[in-house]
Amino acid sequence: MFWQQVVNGLTAGATYALVAAGYTLVFGVLEIINMAHAEIFMIGAFIGLLLVTGTCCPVWAAVAGAMIGAGLLGWALERLALRPLRKQGVSHLAPLISTIGVSIFLMSLAMKIFGPQSVRFPASVEPRFFNLFGTVNISLLQIVILGISLALVAALKVLLARTRLGKALRAVAENPEAAGLMGVNVNSVMAAAVVMASALGGAAGVLVGLQFNAVSPTMGIAYGLKGLAIIIVGGMGSVAGAVAGGLLLGAAEVLAIAYIGSSYRDAVAFIILIAVLLIKPSGIFGKLEGRKG
Amino acid sequence: MSLNKRILTFLSICLSLALLVTAGCSSPSGPGGGAPNDAAGEIKIGVVATLSGDGADYGVSIKRGLETARDRINGAGGINGRKISLVIEDSHGDKNEAINAVQKLINRDRVLAIIGPTNSGEMFAAGPVADKAGVVIMGTSNTARGIGEIGPYVFRNSLPEDNIIPITVRKSKEKLGFNRVALLYSSNNDWAVSSAKTFEEALREQGVAIVETQTFADGDTNFQAQLTRVAAAKPEALAVSALYKEAALLLIQARQQGINLPVMGGNGFNDPELIKIAGEAAEGALVGSPWYAGKDDPAVRDFVEEYKKRYHTVPNQFAAQSYDALGIMAEALKTEGAAADRARFRDALAAIKDYRGVTGRFSFDENGNPLMDAVVLQIAGGTYREVK
Amino acid sequence: MDLLNVYHLQIITFMAVNSILALSFYLPLSAGQLSLGCAGFMSIGAYTAAILSLHYGMPVFTTIPAGAAAAALAGVLLGFPALRLTGVYLAIATLGFGEVVRVLFLNLKITNGALGMPEIPNLNDYFSALYRSWGLQGGLAGLDLPRLAALTTVVFCYFVLAACVAFVLRQENSRTGRAMAAVKADEVASGVMGIGATYIKMLAFVQGAFLAGLAGAISAHVTNFIAPGDFNYHRAVNILLFVVLGGSELVWGGLLGAAVLSVLPEFLRFMQDFRWIIFGALLAAMMVFRPQGLIDRQLLCRFSLRKKPGMDGMDARSSSGEVD
Repeated sequence: MFWQQVVNGLTAGATYALVAAGYTLVFGVLEIINMAHAEIFMIGAFIGLLLVTGTCCPVWAAVAGAMIGAGLLGWALERLALRPLRKQGVSHLAPLISTIGVSIFLMSLAMKIFGPQSVRFPASVEPRFFNLFGTVNISLLQIVILGISLALVAALKVLLARTRLGKALRAVAENPEAAGLMGVNVNSVMAAAVVMASALGGAAGVLVGLQFNAVSPTMGIAYGLKGLAIIIVGGMGSVAGAVAGGLLLGAAEVLAIAYIGSSYRDAVAFIILIAVLLIKPSGIFGKLEGRKG
Repeated sequence: MSLNKRILTFLSICLSLALLVTAGCSSPSGPGGGAPNDAAGEIKIGVVATLSGDGADYGVSIKRGLETARDRINGAGGINGRKISLVIEDSHGDKNEAINAVQKLINRDRVLAIIGPTNSGEMFAAGPVADKAGVVIMGTSNTARGIGEIGPYVFRNSLPEDNIIPITVRKSKEKLGFNRVALLYSSNNDWAVSSAKTFEEALREQGVAIVETQTFADGDTNFQAQLTRVAAAKPEALAVSALYKEAALLLIQARQQGINLPVMGGNGFNDPELIKIAGEAAEGALVGSPWYAGKDDPAVRDFVEEYKKRYHTVPNQFAAQSYDALGIMAEALKTEGAAADRARFRDALAAIKDYRGVTGRFSFDENGNPLMDAVVLQIAGGTYREVK
Repeated sequence: MDLLNVYHLQIITFMAVNSILALSFYLPLSAGQLSLGCAGFMSIGAYTAAILSLHYGMPVFTTIPAGAAAAALAGVLLGFPALRLTGVYLAIATLGFGEVVRVLFLNLKITNGALGMPEIPNLNDYFSALYRSWGLQGGLAGLDLPRLAALTTVVFCYFVLAACVAFVLRQENSRTGRAMAAVKADEVASGVMGIGATYIKMLAFVQGAFLAGLAGAISAHVTNFIAPGDFNYHRAVNILLFVVLGGSELVWGGLLGAAVLSVLPEFLRFMQDFRWIIFGALLAAMMVFRPQGLIDRQLLCRFSLRKKPGMDGMDARSSSGEVD
């Protein structure tokens, strides 16, 4: 049973990691907690659902479509609600509130358009199960989700490390003014960060929708809260930290259900969080003292 | 500015804001919170329902059921020639908003009586408000213990879990003969917790052992860890107390993990949405309920047909119960003087006996809780069938 | 003019509770700490008050201070680890504290878990009973008893609120308040100036917890019923909204924000199901056009008739007193 629970935990953790990677990317570059990220994740799931049910796309196309749709939404968010706030003398609380506003807006809108009930992916994408070592059941879908999540995060990591855009992103994350003086177009780099983060969120939405077979306008809330806890545990702005934190949380939650009691599960994320902060306030992968948030 | 002056300024800001509210939405209403307003010749019934946020699906079903009932009653000539009008307010699933909505309906709209709110928790907060104002408030979806006991003006026509679950357990055991059951429920939902407790008691009474208890939360999508534990305990049946969303996902994931055991459900299982989402996985599930859409009764057939025509979906239990709630109120309104006086209306409502609605034969007990029979349904072939 | 309509009195009562919550968020912020633990402290206050009055039969006027005190105690306990953190770290850690408290209340027996605690003695009923014992069944001066009682509840809540506001203003204009502003502006520099930053931060944090507990205890006694779900993440975010929407530089900002956000959803009722879509859009638009909140120091200066630098608490505080 233990290994089955570990597998359960890791697949859950992989989607947490994907959501958290989006938060951490936006925070690293813009120093903003994007409270609308959870709703972009939800919209991504709906786009994927519409693609699968409406046009009978294969799953990979649904993921790609959701990433494009969520990315566009991220671009709109950046242009309409974040960029106007990027001027002198605006409190850092303002973007927090404007993204909360966008999040309420998107959730209420989704409820109006799609209705409040959960919607299901069609049965054709039902998972098939493999049995490992006689005791552990893992579905093809779980393997695919684990694979896609890790591949996306790895792609992000490579992009940050190797490409021009990645260099520009890191430069802006380090110091926007200096990067601007060096000829980096800070505005477009910041937009790129939000778009990429949203695309990752959209992909996570489809994967979660597929795995648990349901999409609903309120599905983002729980993932959003956990994503926030993960980026602190992993270290703000660190992609590796988001992955480690996501997997850790997924495993810890499942083990808490298995060995402590399922009713305490929702506290696990934050108990880990408080414990980590006590020992290493900058998070597992965090720099000692970066720019303060 | 001195300190006192500042406080004075603040209080005057508050006062002027309050004035702004009143000016912005003031209505031509008479003095006092007393008599219901019946100037237009219509009988105003207020409705408080969760129409936005979590749980909006229930509120929407309730609203649809009520609107269907209103149009049927008005189409048949109303109450002694007077039409019923509904004043519908959203509570957003929030108890403060439910209180505000009830206060608005009583004091601004001056409704005769109120139907709602949707959640038991909202009723515990808003019920006493209406009760103290002497306005009938009637829940159509509150199934927790102690609702009717809030006060003489608080009623409900939704059958509490205490009545339904023991029947479900008894019939299921007769049919399937299990002795070991695993109980799963949503621990942050008041209603699900209350019905889980009832399950526990009913199972104990039937001599069935509960070999595993697992909880989850509303809004959860991943039940694999809990199900893995349940499977390890080797039960012979599952008892699940959750809203349909979580219940459906839980069923799907249970079947995926190879747990093909019979399932008894609480109230949340009695919703066509469950079958829509869970599909095959819902087959064989058992649930007790006063309502099912396939009942061989002309009133039920008429209602289902009318509802389908309006909303392109089969009415669920919430729609049916709210449809009956307005019917029951209309019945009480026929009593002499009940349409103009809140206290008389209350007495007329409490006196309702053997009202024949789509959910069955209905009476109130002395506390304003319903007295009616439940049947046990089983999901078979994608629809609910009565277990004889 | 039906200002004295019980419906309006109800909204005005919630407005007072929300205003106290706004103060509870403002206080730590004025010492540079973004704490989202208000919902957690509020729930501790509310549950303490509910348990004391339901299980121990204590009167309303003792349970309310007891609730506030319990929350302050929790504030001291949380303060030790939490105040090592700054900025977003502190915000999310305190948000996490709220979640942990909520899960705890969901699992405790004495709080009745998810079922919540019904039949909490109500302030309105208390005042009704009081007036009835004075022989005022028919009301007073043209007001019937329910209105009279509701009005008394309003007066009571605003009395508490006024006391809180007076305290905060007085403190801002004092040595402690200036120390808080200094810590907010620059913690290191304030240390050099001889200010015990840890003590000042702790003081602001615990005061915030106390006020949140107070608001929670009052809210338990005006809503008849509490359940863990009332104090979730949305509540914490709402309190944050009060202050930032109203303007986080000034006490008045939070109070105005609380008033606006208590009234706005009621005001938007005619929109029916579109209500929350509009609300979200308004919020985002508001930040774009007026990111500093509805009122800021500039606006207040423009409207104040005379300005005496140094005499006024608002001017004594550094104008660059922005948390960052």
